[in-house]
Amino acid sequence: MLELHDITAGYDRKAPVVRNASLTVAPGEAVGLLGPSGCGKSTLARVAALLHRPESGTLLLDGEPVRHWRHRAPRDLRTAIGVVFQQPRLSADPRLRLIDLIAEPLRATGRRDEVPDRITELTPAVGLTPDLLDRRPHEVSDGQLQRACLARALVLRPRWLICDEMTAMLDASTTAALVAAVENYRAATGAGLLAVGHDQTLLRRWCDRLLHWDEVAAAGMGKLPRASGLREPSVVPPAT
Amino acid sequence: MRVSVALVGGIVLAVLLVPPLVQLDQQAVDLGAKLLPPSWSHPFGTDDLGRDLLLRCIYGLRVSLLVGVAAALTATVIGTAVGATAGALGGWVDRGVMRVVDTVASVPHLLLGIFIVAMFRPGLWPVVVSVALTHWLSTARIVRAEVLSLRSHPYIDAAVSGGASRWRVAVRHLLPAVLPQAALAAALMVPHAMWHESALSFLGLGLPTHMASLGNLIQDARGSLLAGQWWPTLFPGLFIIVPTLAIAGLAGAWRERINPRRRSELML
Amino acid sequence: MTVTDRPPVLSVRGLSVRFLMPGGRRIAAVTDAHFEVAAGECLALIGESGCGKSVLASALLGLLPSNAQSAGQARLGELDLLAADERTLTRTVRGRLIGLIPQSPAAHLTPVRTVRSQLEETVGALTDARGRTAVRSAAESAAERAAFPADHLDRHPHQLSGGLAQRAATALALVGDAPLLLADEPTTGLDRDLVDHTVDELRRHVDDGDRALLMITHDLAAAERIADRVAVMYAGRIVELANTEAFFGTPGPRHPYSRGLLDALPERAFLPIPGMPPELGDLPDGCAFAPRCEQVTDACAALPPTTSHIACHHPHVPEDLRA
Repeated sequence: MLELHDITAGYDRKAPVVRNASLTVAPGEAVGLLGPSGCGKSTLARVAALLHRPESGTLLLDGEPVRHWRHRAPRDLRTAIGVVFQQPRLSADPRLRLIDLIAEPLRATGRRDEVPDRITELTPAVGLTPDLLDRRPHEVSDGQLQRACLARALVLRPRWLICDEMTAMLDASTTAALVAAVENYRAATGAGLLAVGHDQTLLRRWCDRLLHWDEVAAAGMGKLPRASGLREPSVVPPAT
Repeated sequence: MRVSVALVGGIVLAVLLVPPLVQLDQQAVDLGAKLLPPSWSHPFGTDDLGRDLLLRCIYGLRVSLLVGVAAALTATVIGTAVGATAGALGGWVDRGVMRVVDTVASVPHLLLGIFIVAMFRPGLWPVVVSVALTHWLSTARIVRAEVLSLRSHPYIDAAVSGGASRWRVAVRHLLPAVLPQAALAAALMVPHAMWHESALSFLGLGLPTHMASLGNLIQDARGSLLAGQWWPTLFPGLFIIVPTLAIAGLAGAWRERINPRRRSELML
Repeated sequence: MTVTDRPPVLSVRGLSVRFLMPGGRRIAAVTDAHFEVAAGECLALIGESGCGKSVLASALLGLLPSNAQSAGQARLGELDLLAADERTLTRTVRGRLIGLIPQSPAAHLTPVRTVRSQLEETVGALTDARGRTAVRSAAESAAERAAFPADHLDRHPHQLSGGLAQRAATALALVGDAPLLLADEPTTGLDRDLVDHTVDELRRHVDDGDRALLMITHDLAAAERIADRVAVMYAGRIVELANTEAFFGTPGPRHPYSRGLLDALPERAFLPIPGMPPELGDLPDGCAFAPRCEQVTDACAALPPTTSHIACHHPHVPEDLRA
């Protein structure tokens, strides 16, 4: 289980972006988190990915409470979660060729010898072709770069995947291809998924369960108490 | 830009080739030919000991460039290391380091430079150390700011999530990103360091007086200038101004090129 | 639909753009594009990123980099945009004949100045309004037309929400009362409600202002909502030009690429088109879509001519016509 309980997080202690947010993802489950832009859902995704330390609240990974974030988090825990971000241009080091981009997590964790095998497996799985692997990010399109970023997130075989607006910048066909790649990986490994986004149609099609931001967290600037009766009614009917 | 390239190229060639090719002794004293105005045999004239000023200027530029480049490189290495450490580690390390930087920066750097050279016997290396130790501050600030802005970049997040250690993030992702900025800062610092060497030498605190540095040449010429002999001051002065402007021009053009706003020529 | 019978505001004939890259490589970013946009009409140019649609927009605005060569014609009234010199483009085209609605309004607005001062500057540069009160009221009415709230005029761009920043940018684009509005991916990164809202407002400017709107987007839902006609671009070519209703409804798109693109939508089959688009620097001789096409035959080795707005050797034939 990936469990977030009562998380409050932000970049300024006086004005947290996320207030009292809770959600759980069961192993193998795909949960979609739907919310308007700027609501704080990306911050919550970073908390879940061990990239941003919350001010309060608990994160449980398979029952174990997480005590440290970023570099302080144990490496095994960090690499158990694969992350894909919204903007491929910003999430790829501009100096690395795609092959190095994808292989970097293996090298960083001292598993250099697995590089050739994993690259051979992942290149077709995310829909890249071998000739693209030698290029640098500015020499490929947004869609191709995002495919490489997905391959990087999968290269360490994570048990959890967090996709933060993974397809917001992409066309319909690339979106469908990337979602299919994620689903193939999940079908093969049983990994759980937290997909964050604002496209209701997409998330409903993609995920087992759809959560609206209003159901997950107290309202943004947070005068509302946590009593659920005072929340605004969800705009989105629960997925069927 | 082209003028700068030609000038810097010419200077480097002159400084590298003239001393080994021209078998003339720049220290050769000829008291019979002292303080001659410019002529065909002595294009820049001679100084008060009858030494050829053109030759002295080239040797002087050689020394000044050596000091400038060595000091700029040292300062950049120190500045990059300090700035990158502060930016990458953050927290109390960052606050402590930047407090030290602010403190050092609050002392006028020529004064601090004089203090440092005064602790050593006169020579080339004390001057390099003095200039380097007073000039790493701005590089440290630039590099720290750059690292701080990169640290919140999604690609650093991705590296952390991929299991990279602090050290690996710094060496593999942060350092390569700040290197062009640091190299540019180094190039821009060379002329500045040359001016400092000249200033220290002119004050009599820099290189030993027998070494033909540009600052020493101007210092030596002070007496003659009052007597109306202009050439021993003018030519070494030009030898400071022209090369430093050329190097600064070249570094400026380079800065335009690595400007981060400049993206791929193709807008696809 | 009668809009297409009106005289076109913009008429593009055989527009091609080539980039000359170091090493003599040539990149065919746009090839032989033909289309028209009439007053009161919206044409959506759709296609995936890197298909050349943004280059096409830059060519119309004369904003191509120096290593680009363009050919063909793009007539806006009496003026050929491709032949116009920089002076004409600056003085009479940008702002006055073409209003640009940018991709990221936050980056398009000057961060250190208020919306009002930017609007007033644009009013002063583009209109005859002179004198403080005249400029002020012209700026306010421009804001009103774009539904930008008057009490937010004295704010700086970073104090605005994404939707309001988009309206501020639209207000700037409307100041010069240009006959052609060009919107380059105006909805990227906005959430669905905001997309619908932005798109509806743009549509309103087309309907009440007798303007023509050329919208470049990869968002098919936005295109369906706003456009009268859609032009589908693939690998630098416009492969299909169709009425929006026919394209998104029945009989549906006819080019195999367009069909694949619609089938990839999550509300439809959600199946990607196999493979990836070709490199614009290394296009095949025949149909550029052939390597990914299920219908491919030997005929596809030759470049398909554009007949009745489809560039395909075997376009989809609707069921009722087959019988």
